[in-house]
Amino acid sequence: MVKEFEGKTEREAIEKAAIELGLTQDQFDVEIIESEQHGFFFKRGNVKIRVHLDEVHGSKTFQVKKVIEPSGNIENKLISFLNKLIEYMGYPGEVKIGFREGEKLGLDISSSHSAILIGKKGKNLDALQMLVNVYASKIGGSDYSGKVIIDTENYRQRREENLVRLANKTAEQVCKSKSSKLLEPMNPFERRLVHMALNDMDEVMTKSEGEGLFKQVRIIYKGSNS
Amino acid sequence: MEKELVEFIAKSLVDDADNVVVNMIEGEKSTILELKVADDDIGKVIGKHGRIAKAVRTILSASANKTGKRFVLEILD
Repeated sequence: MVKEFEGKTEREAIEKAAIELGLTQDQFDVEIIESEQHGFFFKRGNVKIRVHLDEVHGSKTFQVKKVIEPSGNIENKLISFLNKLIEYMGYPGEVKIGFREGEKLGLDISSSHSAILIGKKGKNLDALQMLVNVYASKIGGSDYSGKVIIDTENYRQRREENLVRLANKTAEQVCKSKSSKLLEPMNPFERRLVHMALNDMDEVMTKSEGEGLFKQVRIIYKGSNS
Repeated sequence: MEKELVEFIAKSLVDDADNVVVNMIEGEKSTILELKVADDDIGKVIGKHGRIAKAVRTILSASANKTGKRFVLEILD
């Protein structure tokens, strides 16, 4: 969710946003889009901010804080599999349950080697996640349909926020230049985030281009009258 | 090390863990790991469109990162 607020100063705009959304200031991301503070009449200045808000974001971070004990054979096996996997890789750490949401199980790695465990654009983290999911479907048998999401140092959430920000920024550029722009190759989940972020922006439309798992999203200008 | 890593992953994914064999051929710059599994288990270490094999190779190269050596994974059939 994206909302815009205005105030005389940056702080005032942020406070307004916090009151209206009923959140504390550290629960959302603020992007300053217009600042007319500097200049001769800075006292009458006007600051426009854009607030990036993930609706599940708030509840998710609260869930992470409490310790969730693994329950059942499968969860215990998955945790020990991932623990051994990163140990064999030479980057030992501690695996805990980050969240449990319906069919989704979030595993969180805390390790001093998190940078290499994440890899370029989350490549290594995705590979680990893929193997754990294959293992899960093997030990779970046919009656197990869960999905495991592996994270470390909140990388996934950070990446999500960055992508939405990038999508908005690029869409703005597209609106200004009236010519389309191609984003870097992304996996289906990341593309979905971009499509959804720009879904309610009337001036642009999004399209995926390319073949295979990693396609590129093109942001196309379509005018403001439609 | 890397040999045990591949062995561990393969043994976790296949049905017939006793028939998992990993051979290491060390070269000057790169080391080749040959993975052999039971015939019925080949699909389990390669996956659809080689997705599992690709993930294993990604993890292998992340692991090899600390030594600075290159590892090549070959799946024998």
